[in-house]
Amino acid sequence: MRRRTLLRWVAPLAAAARFPGVRAWAQTVTFPGGHDDTLVALAEIVLPSEIGPAGIREIARRFETWVRDYRPGAEMDHGYGFTRIRNKPQSPAPAYLRQLDSIRPALLHGDAASRRQAVEAALEDAKIADLPRTPDGRHIAADLMTFYFRGSDANDLCYRSSIGRDLCRGLKGSDNPPAPLSGKGAR
Amino acid sequence: MRTYDSDVCIIGGGISAAMLALKLTELRPGISITVVEAGRKLMDLENRMRYRQRSIEYAENPWPGDFIEDQSAKGIISRTMALGGSALHWGGTCNRFSEEDLRLQSMYGLGVDWPIEWKELEKFYCEAERRLGVSGEPSPLPDDWRSEPYPMSAMVMTHNLKELKAWAEKSGIPFWSTPQAKNTRPYDGRAECIRCNTCSICPTGARYSPDFTFKRLMERKSFTLHDQTLVRKLLLDDTKPAVALARAVHRERPDEPVEYRAPVFVLASGYCWSPHLLLLSQCPRFPNGLANRSGLVGRYMCGHAFISAMIEIDARIYPGMNEQHGLISRQFFRCKPGDPFVRHDLRIWESAAGHEPRLRGSDGRVLLGDALLADWRQRAQRGTARVRGYYDAHPDRESALTLDATTRNRWGDSMPNIQHKLDAATQARQQFTTDHFQQLFQRLSKANNGKILSTSQGNYLDHPAGGCRMGTDPSSSVTDSFGQTHDHDNLFVVGSPTLPNAGCTNGTLTFAALTLRSAERIASRFRGAA
Repeated sequence: MRRRTLLRWVAPLAAAARFPGVRAWAQTVTFPGGHDDTLVALAEIVLPSEIGPAGIREIARRFETWVRDYRPGAEMDHGYGFTRIRNKPQSPAPAYLRQLDSIRPALLHGDAASRRQAVEAALEDAKIADLPRTPDGRHIAADLMTFYFRGSDANDLCYRSSIGRDLCRGLKGSDNPPAPLSGKGAR
Repeated sequence: MRTYDSDVCIIGGGISAAMLALKLTELRPGISITVVEAGRKLMDLENRMRYRQRSIEYAENPWPGDFIEDQSAKGIISRTMALGGSALHWGGTCNRFSEEDLRLQSMYGLGVDWPIEWKELEKFYCEAERRLGVSGEPSPLPDDWRSEPYPMSAMVMTHNLKELKAWAEKSGIPFWSTPQAKNTRPYDGRAECIRCNTCSICPTGARYSPDFTFKRLMERKSFTLHDQTLVRKLLLDDTKPAVALARAVHRERPDEPVEYRAPVFVLASGYCWSPHLLLLSQCPRFPNGLANRSGLVGRYMCGHAFISAMIEIDARIYPGMNEQHGLISRQFFRCKPGDPFVRHDLRIWESAAGHEPRLRGSDGRVLLGDALLADWRQRAQRGTARVRGYYDAHPDRESALTLDATTRNRWGDSMPNIQHKLDAATQARQQFTTDHFQQLFQRLSKANNGKILSTSQGNYLDHPAGGCRMGTDPSSSVTDSFGQTHDHDNLFVVGSPTLPNAGCTNGTLTFAALTLRSAERIASRFRGAA
């Protein structure tokens, strides 16, 4: 049986389990549960319209994958200057689901202004001062923004250039400015 | 007790061990060499693209398992303990020191002179550059003469670096490409750099790391690698002051103690663990630790201090073109005798500092979607230069590594505690040094409508070294210029611990060069054995 098929059967049962660890695992591998539409609605508020509706859905889908592939307890980077061995904290999925529950009515039924206000209020309530370096589980709106805006694609969009910061690109031509961005985001 | 015999037993598996073992196998192919490394061997190049991706997306450790939980020290800057050592995830920067570093006492009345001539060391710099595969651009300064060209042409200077060079040179200071152990063409069986921008985890092997050397060595019958094996103590021969054996424990088979016997032992465990093992090996004949009649094992721990600035300028910088490659100036490596002493390198990199996406605007209001992008774009119209100088700072005798009885590993060994202390002369000129850098940053920022966004003083000493400093006088040094300990004829220390001072630029190339020189002396003990 393929892993995805197995998960489709097992995870809903586990999501209802009494044991928090099992439930968190299930919520992670099935993220966003029944909140596909909420997540896309949130993405429409927090991501730039310049990438278009398909681009926004694509980022939401990639974020889902990011959550599902999250590994609680994985070793964290401890390069120069970081002598403390740290591990990734628990999965953010359960908190994300609670947050999506909370803003779902406003996101799905409000007008543009009230949807934006709901997200702003949620960020204020969560006391998020700035985008974290990587998604840290404090609030899904901030984490979805971090996921996109701190990524290589957003860097390209900002500069309207094919910089490809996180890609392996070869040395040739790097003495010239990067090529202008084509497609969405190009001007 | 399991006992292993070899001709040379190298304790530690970092870049110095790799250079030493490789050169010994070439000079004396008949001798047997064993490298004993406490950490794991991580030779999975095929997984590094995936590790890199997980590091980018999740901030996971790109070198999983590269540390030992209970083998740590206070005062270190990296926990890496695995085959390859810190050079698994180094940036690959391969700057040379300058002659002044070796002549501090005779030129400036500071620190001590090294027991080695610059011309002699320069030969080994060339060899280290060949072995590591360094790509570089020659310095335009005559004092930076080289007897051989760099093995590879310099890394392509990106559009960003060209912009930054044009800006920085308006100050009258020349800048050029920083030499790096990164392939600008296929070299030594490794691939050309494809500009992944994550040199700390190079997924292609274009940046040198010692695992490649060890992989090659492991194909030779005369070479043995024992990883996950912690050497806990060196024991002396009963009748002479020579090391007879190294007692160790395999981390996964702790009930089976291991002994290594060899006519020559070499400590290649870096600035922390080499002096640590000598101190741990105290015995009635050497109650202060082996090689420590001078009392200087674990003393004069050194490194260079640094000051940084972020300078915003009018320039079209595209952050992320190649953040790992930068510019260097060696203009300030030399200080005229009689002038106030300050020596440093000067480095410049592209940066996104001050121009990153942010959640709140200047008025504190939350920015979402289009508003966030518009704010980001508006701020990104200017570029940022990250500027840093490593400056020469000299250690006090009390700059020390000691055994910390309150922190022990699972075997009960006291762990090291490093407390750096700069000597009185360095402390006395600190204000002058700070003022010098502030003036330098101001000088740079005059061009292109520059604005200093921030300055910061490093709170640790980088590229640490020392702890077994070399010298000619056994009362004021631990080893001779070849790393041979004054107290034990068959015990050598190679690499970073032997440095009396840490210069004013990255140290790895110097550690490698000194080790390659030691290799010749060690090989000479086996003349006829080949």
